[in-house]
Amino acid sequence: MGEIVIFTDKIPFAEIKRLADLRFGDMVKGVIDVENSVVALGGELHADEEAELLNNNSKQENLWGVNIYPDLVWPEMIEFDSMINIRPNQNNRSRSVEDEKIRNKILEILKDKIFYE
Amino acid sequence: MNNVIHKDLASGRWLEMNLSQQLGNIGSEVGRAANWKKKEKIEMMDAALNRALDLLNLTIADKRWRTGRKELCRAREVLVDTFWGDKEYNDTPENLEKYFFQFAVAAKK
Repeated sequence: MGEIVIFTDKIPFAEIKRLADLRFGDMVKGVIDVENSVVALGGELHADEEAELLNNNSKQENLWGVNIYPDLVWPEMIEFDSMINIRPNQNNRSRSVEDEKIRNKILEILKDKIFYE
Repeated sequence: MNNVIHKDLASGRWLEMNLSQQLGNIGSEVGRAANWKKKEKIEMMDAALNRALDLLNLTIADKRWRTGRKELCRAREVLVDTFWGDKEYNDTPENLEKYFFQFAVAAKK
């Protein structure tokens, strides 16, 4: 039906497009482990990717949800919006990623990993 | 079930969630739709709204919420009216997002 792919190294842009087409068409949901630089893509919910990464030794406090819209340009293609981001105990009270340092870290990780063949 | 977007959830996983979790997830898509509307990206707004309605339909069909169905169906009607209709109910995308967001917060408690 769908698949979650975990990327520890590079992410081909074509793979982002494929995962987007497989499920929602215009976007793919992603969760990033900002500590270990691991990215999970392709889940139906961010919570699904979160669970996969937790099973992969990630810590919840390091996991942040985004949406990637492959048809938009960088950095607009990255949308910081996920229910898993609502974490009052980390002072994040909205679906966005409120800490600018963490947002920049996420962008840095994705920019480094995504490549165009 | 051919036109269902969230196929895995529709197969039973949605029924494992409580109402707050369901409505919180619906609210995520409503929020995205509101943001795309602000940016005047209507195609992307439509895609987010379709996803929201896909999930809302699953919640309405969930037998556990039978007694709350009236409110859920009204929420769907107001949602569609606000984004695609004649704004008969004088509601706004932002208000609708707030309505669903309270459930997202409750789901995290």
